[in-house]
Parts: sequence; C-alpha cells; structure tokens
Amino acid sequence: MRRSDLPIPILWLVAGGLFYLVLATAPEVVVRQRFLVIPGGWWRALALLTLGIGVVGGTAYLWGRSRRPLLAMRFALAAGTHLLMIAAVLITIYPAVYLVAVSLNRANSLTGALPREGSVLVRAGVIPDPSAFSWVQYQKVLGATHLLWFQWVFVAIAVVAVAWLVGVAVIHRQRPMSATRLDRRRRWGGLALFASLAALVLTITPGQFYSVGASGERVGVSGERMVVLFIRNTLLISGMTGLFAVAIATTAGYAFARMRFDGRYGTLMTFVFVQMFPGFMALVAIYYLMSYLDLLNTFTGLILAYSGGAIAFSSWIFKGYLESVSPSLEEAALVDGATRWGAFVRIILPISVPMLLFIFLLQFIGTYSEFILANTLLIGIENWTVGIGLRSFTQRAFATQWGAMAASAVLGSLPILAIFYAFQDALTGQYQSGGVKG
Amino acid sequence: MDLSQPLREHLPRKGSGGLLASLGLIVAAFLVAVVAGLATVLVLRLVAPQAPTWLGLVGGLAVFLPTLRAMARRFAWIVPWYYLLPALVFLLTFTLFPVILTVVLAFTDYSGVRNGQLNVASETAIVAMTETRDALTIADPRVFDCQDLRNGCRGARALVYGSGTIETVAVALDGMRLTLSEELPAGAEPRTVSLHLPDLGFAIDVDVRDVDGATLILDRAPPFPPDLEQLVVELVRPTFAVRMSGDDGRRIALGEPLPEGFEAVSIVRYNDFGYLGVANFRTILAQVDRALGPVFAWNVGFAFVTVGINLLVGLLLGVLLNNPDLRLRGLYRTLLILPWALPNIITIQVWRGFLNENFGVVNRLLMLFDVTEQPISWLLGNAWSARAAVLLVNLWLGYPFMMVAVLGALTAIPRELYEAARIDGATAWQGFLRVTAPLLRSAMLPITLTGFAFNFNNFNIIFLLTDGGPAVDWGTATARGTDILISWAYNEAFRSQGGYAYGLGSAISLLIFVITVAVSLVNFRVTGALKEEPA
Repeated sequence: MRRSDLPIPILWLVAGGLFYLVLATAPEVVVRQRFLVIPGGWWRALALLTLGIGVVGGTAYLWGRSRRPLLAMRFALAAGTHLLMIAAVLITIYPAVYLVAVSLNRANSLTGALPREGSVLVRAGVIPDPSAFSWVQYQKVLGATHLLWFQWVFVAIAVVAVAWLVGVAVIHRQRPMSATRLDRRRRWGGLALFASLAALVLTITPGQFYSVGASGERVGVSGERMVVLFIRNTLLISGMTGLFAVAIATTAGYAFARMRFDGRYGTLMTFVFVQMFPGFMALVAIYYLMSYLDLLNTFTGLILAYSGGAIAFSSWIFKGYLESVSPSLEEAALVDGATRWGAFVRIILPISVPMLLFIFLLQFIGTYSEFILANTLLIGIENWTVGIGLRSFTQRAFATQWGAMAASAVLGSLPILAIFYAFQDALTGQYQSGGVKG
Repeated sequence: MDLSQPLREHLPRKGSGGLLASLGLIVAAFLVAVVAGLATVLVLRLVAPQAPTWLGLVGGLAVFLPTLRAMARRFAWIVPWYYLLPALVFLLTFTLFPVILTVVLAFTDYSGVRNGQLNVASETAIVAMTETRDALTIADPRVFDCQDLRNGCRGARALVYGSGTIETVAVALDGMRLTLSEELPAGAEPRTVSLHLPDLGFAIDVDVRDVDGATLILDRAPPFPPDLEQLVVELVRPTFAVRMSGDDGRRIALGEPLPEGFEAVSIVRYNDFGYLGVANFRTILAQVDRALGPVFAWNVGFAFVTVGINLLVGLLLGVLLNNPDLRLRGLYRTLLILPWALPNIITIQVWRGFLNENFGVVNRLLMLFDVTEQPISWLLGNAWSARAAVLLVNLWLGYPFMMVAVLGALTAIPRELYEAARIDGATAWQGFLRVTAPLLRSAMLPITLTGFAFNFNNFNIIFLLTDGGPAVDWGTATARGTDILISWAYNEAFRSQGGYAYGLGSAISLLIFVITVAVSLVNFRVTGALKEEPA
C-alpha cells in the first residue's frame, strides 16, 4: 500500500527543532506583575508554527518530488497535518499532564512562589518544578484510609488482574493469538478484576477513615482525606444504577422489539417522552418525593431517582439492538417447544451480553459524572460522591490544598479513564454506526 | 401452533387489553397474593407459633406466580405487559410522577419556611382560652411567627398540646407495681414517672410499661425506696390538631372549638404552603429584564455558540484525521479523545484552579507568550470573561465527541461516490464540496441538535466552573453573569440567596420542560427516530 507520508523521525526532528528555536531565539524574559513574560511571544510562536508548517510541508514536497513526483502535494499536506495534529494533541493533553504533575509535586499551595531555577517554562510555572517531585500528596489523601487484611487481598487480586490484562495485551501485540484464546484470557482477567473491585466497594465502610492520634486514639478526618470513600460511594451508586437499569430494561426492550399489542405505540411514546427529561429538572419534586419517602441522604434514594431515566434510555437502546437481530433463532427455539420466556432467557439474553455490557457501561459513566441530584440528595459527608468531595476543595481550602486536590482528581478519574480506554471502540463507536438514535 | 405462519402472526395482536385493563388485572392478582400471604401468616400462627413471619411472603408468591400464569392463559394479550410493567412502574414513579409534581408545585409557595413540616421552634404557651374554646391567647406571637406564612395564621394547621405532666401521690410500691392514690384522668397516657429517692437526694426517671387501673407497671424496680408523696408522672402529651382561621396579634382564632376537658397548654404550627395560582410565573415575568431575559438570552447563546465552535474544531480535526494515508492517526485519535475519557465532574473543577487569576496556569501561559497585557480575571471579573472561560472549557470537554462523530460520518460515506465523482471529472476539492459536505451535513444534524439540547441544560459546566457568577449589575442575586435557566432554578430553590423558594424553582423548571420538549421534538422529526408505524 502506498503511503503518502514522510518518515516520522524527520518530522519529529523538525518539530523539535522549531520548538527549540522558539525558546532559543526568544528575547530576554521580563517579569510583569509577578508573571514571567517573553515580550512578543505569541507572534513569534505563531510565526514559527506557520513557518514550521511551511518548512515541513516544503521539505516533504521536495522529498516527494524526488521520489514520487505525482504524490508530492499529498506528502506536503500530510506533513503539515502532522504539525497541526501535534499542536492539537499538545493543547488537548496539556491540562491532564499538568494535573498529574501537580499531584506529584511537593508544593500543596496554588499560590506558592515560583521556582527561580530551571528552564523558562519551569520558572514561569507552566510546568511544575521537576526537582520538587514527591508522592506526598498521594500519601496525604490516602493516608487516612485503613484497609482490613482481606481488603488488601482484594487489592492484590485486582493488581494481579490488571497486570494479567496488560500482559495479555502486550503478548498479543508481539505474537497475535487466536481470537477465542485472547477472549478467554481477557474474560478471566476482567472477571477477577471486576469481582475483586466489587468486593472492595461492598466492604469498605466510612468507619475505616481516621487518623491515629498521639495516644493511639482514632481521630475523625476531614473530607479532603476521604477520597477513597468517595470513589467507593460513586462506584457503588453508578454500578447499582447501571445493573438496576439493565435488569429492568431488558424485558421492556424485548417486549417493544418483538411483541405487538394494544397500547404498544402509546407506551413506547411514554418511554421516549420520559427519556427527554434529564431527571434533575424535576429536582424540587424529587427532593420532595425523597423526603416524603424518608430516602434523603441514602444511596437507595439516589439510585431510585436515577432509575426512571436510566431505564427509559436503556430500554430504548436495547429495543433498537434487538430489532437489528434476526428473530430466526427465537423462532427456531419456539418451534422446538420453548416458551416465550424460555426463548428470552436462553436465547436472547446470552446473545445480548456484549450489548448489555455496553448499556451498563454507558449508564455507569453517565452516572459517575452526575452532580446536581447527588449534591441535593446526599447531605452527609460519609455518602458523598467524588464530585461533591472535590467541590469541598474548591469551596474551602482550594488555594492551600491544590496538590491534594490534584491527587484526588487523578484518583477519581482513574476508574472512568480505564473503562473508557478499555472499551474505547464500543463507547465511541456508537456514534459512528448510528447505533444510538435520538 | 400453526407453523406455516411467520412468528409475528402468533403474537397477540389485537385484544381488549390496553394499559389500564392490564394494570387492573395485575393489581387484582397482587391483592389476591396479599390476601394469600396474610392467610399464610394466620394459619402459621395457629399451627406453628414459632415460624418466622417472612414465610407469609413465600405463601403470597406461591399464589401470585400461578395466578399470573393462569391470567396469561386466559388473557393472552396480557403477556407483553408482564415484560413491560417493572420498567413502567419505575418510570412512572420516579420520572413521570416528579414531572407532574413539578407542575403542581410550580403553582404553590412551597419553600424553605413553608415546607409543610411541623415547625418545632414555633411552640409557644397558651395563656388564655375563650369560653367558646375556639380562640386562644398566646404568650409570644413573635415565636409563633405567622408572618412567614402567606396569609398569616389563616388557614394554616397547628397542633395544640395538652398538659404534659401530672403531680400525684402513690399509696404503695410493690416491686415494679406502683399504685397511685387515684386513677390518672381519662386519655392520659403515662410515659415515665419521676421518683424522688431520699437516700440519694435526687430523682430518677423510670419508664412506665403498662397501666392497670390506678396501678402503673414500671419498667424496673427503683434501686432505693422512693418518696411516695412526691411523684411526677410525665405523660405522652395529648395533642389536638386544628386549623386556624385567623390571628390578631396574640389572639389566635381556631376553625373549630377544642374538645371539653382538654387542657390546652401550648400550641405549635405547621409550615403550611398552599396554592398561589400563577403568582410564581408573575414573579418570573416581573423580573424579565433582570433575570429571565438575560439568563434566557445567554442560555440560548451559550448553547448555540458552544455547539458551533465544538463542531468547527471537531470538523477540522475529523476531516484531517480521516486521511487514511496519515501515519499515527490512531495515536492522534486516542490522545485527542482524552477529555472525553475523563469524568467532566472532576475536570471542570480542576479547570477552576487552572483559571485562577494570579496563579492559574492559563494566565501564566497567556502572560508568558505575551498574549495579554494584564492577567485575565476569568471567573471573578466581568461576565464576559467568565462566559469566555465557560466556552473555552466546554470546547476542551466537547470537541472530541464532535470529532469522533465526524470521523464516523466520514467513514460511512461509500468510496464509490468519490470514484464516480472523479470519473465525472471532479477535482478533490469539488469532491469534498459536492459529496462529503452534503452527506456530512445530514449525518451531523441530529448530533448537533442533541448537543444543543444537552448544552442547553448543561448544569455541570456552569455550576462547577463559575457557579453562575460573577454577580452583575444587570442581574439579581440568583441570576448572575453566567447563570443558565437550570442553574437559576437551582439557585432559587436550593440556596439561601434564593430563599429556598422551591415553588418558584419548579415554575422555572416548567419553562425549561417546554423548551426541552420542543427541541427534542424537532430532533425526532429530523432523525426520524419515531417513524414507526403506530400499532
């Protein structure tokens, strides 16, 4: 296959050289209002980027002329695209990388003085000082968590499972294995990981978060040091919401997809109509309902508040999926004497497992980032989710707990980050194939 | 079963069972099951008194499931409802019911000080009662505080407490049986009795377990002989619920007289709320130039602009990444969707730190490259810089989604179309303009509309990034520089500066409902998601 593209190392060299040029040719750095300023920096950077795209594109064009004259223009375009992409990637991942760097830095204060040593970027404070590298922020936010011995066993199993999954992926990359074998190995690792994390989530209690005082007594700690509890709460709420929605929605989706009955269209419209409303819009009413049911400040109340929208959405997707599956399998089962329920349980559910997992994950991720209902219904600190816990940083000790907040944010993002990239194709693919309507 | 027909022909198609008939049948089956369960418990009590009560549940289920089966045999049309009902029940209870309740509450003055609860702090002593027993004089109208209620005390509910303690004398104490000199007055229900112990010099409270005529059965025997001449019996306070018909300073008129013999000691009122008619909507309209107008304009503008710029950036990167000859495109794509892979509830709050005026990394970068003369006060300065911050952060959060959607739409365009265009003599640019652009447009339209509907109610970005602020001189305490409708409603309902006006918040929510439904209907019409034959 033809590739109208430059060898990558050349591009990296050119891009790196340009980046170095920006720094090297920059005029003396001045200090203005306690900020470091490169006078005229922006037009220099912009000019160099434009120049860079031109130079790299030109190089590519000339290189192409000498090799494949007809494709020279394509080479040039591809080369320019690379530079633009690198710039876009840098801008996109910079906040995340900076956040991780802050969480690995000794300085806990947002308002601390800038370092006087190091490169311009370090002195300007746009890169945290590498010489102040430290794990202390993680020690701080994790230090008040006291796991019991069997919880450490679950942690160990989870770590081994992650290592196993990574190992399988690496080996598969080196020497591809057959699809069934890969699938089996992944499934075992995934199940072990899921089971151990679920066991952790179910066994951790608010009582395990304390610091030990001078005379050995237990002292309660503030929310800034309970991020593990908040993550546990969020995982529990999101997981239960997802499971609940999937469990209730499968039969409904099946009925919509495969059965014809009086009132079907009206009921379907009810589902669609209800799904239009984000649950939080009826916030006042849900608050009223939950205080009436005495479910304020409970996970049950929050999960129930999520359930309506989650069920409507899940049934709608599952219906769409089943309509794309040929009914011949069920028909065969019915011919062989299976009941309708039997066909549903033995045929439909097994073949839908990937789809059900997908619906669960969508629901899980959506619930993880929900703020307004959780913030209204969960009052007690022991019930907070990650989002509410982080908000206690931004409301109170924001400037002085900056490093600890970064560490909490990194820890709180990990579950979703892992899920997203592990199931990247499924989660982003839905918008490519048009699987999710409306 | 006649197998010469396709499966669908065997399914119940026409029957006499809509939702209501099915619901009725299932509720009936449920009632039968409850009766069966209760019967099980009763029979068990007679046969084996030791058996646990939950066996009643087993009995109920043992009847419920066969009943459902039998009903399915008799009324074939009910089967689909067995599959639908669990979902439908939760949908109706936790989504549709709150929506309806929102509509109802929007016409009330439900709020923090009128939350329908008993206001314990309002208890005040009754100093006098009229002969007709339907008007009281209270000790302190400021404690009773009817000013918080819409019509003063008129129409509000209250509880009148009777006397709570009786001083009496006992004649004998035999272990745990304490015999009083006379029976307690009718209706008085003793809770504890306070016994003075001369040996110790103080009194102890002993719970009363039962009453037998003039004899009180105590929970435990007192450790020392008590002074029988000095007893205080504390009663479960007799209460009488009334509705007040008006107030005049210290005088409270009751809707009905208190019963004879009831010794009224104190009164406590409820935080009653009631129907206001359209007053909440009138309040909203009265603030049209300070709250509704600016908030609505910014809300629509925000949703449009943010979807627009996200789509632009997504289009640019998506079209560039779609080049199959580009090396590393998988890596670029993986890295570029990072903001989507992080939970926005966390990243938005982190951006608050990045946008700090003096110490945030955004201003450090801008200053380092000399983009701005002064550091920009993103979150606390004027409304426009805060709005720019919201748009920028939402761009970072949202463009990966648009980019992936564009990539998907481009992949779905068949290559043959381009080949046909080339054969017809079109240049690459013409191919893009005449083939890619129209197909992309029809694919992206529903996604753009969905994005608009989502961002129209994007509470997280507003609340977590700017918290609706900064305060502006054209706004109110609850509708500030970057507040959108939903955050304005939240401020009115759940924050002290809005006075916890739940009713007003519901009224605003009602406006958002209408807009959201309208946008969704347009979306459904465009996507054709509902183009399904009405059964």
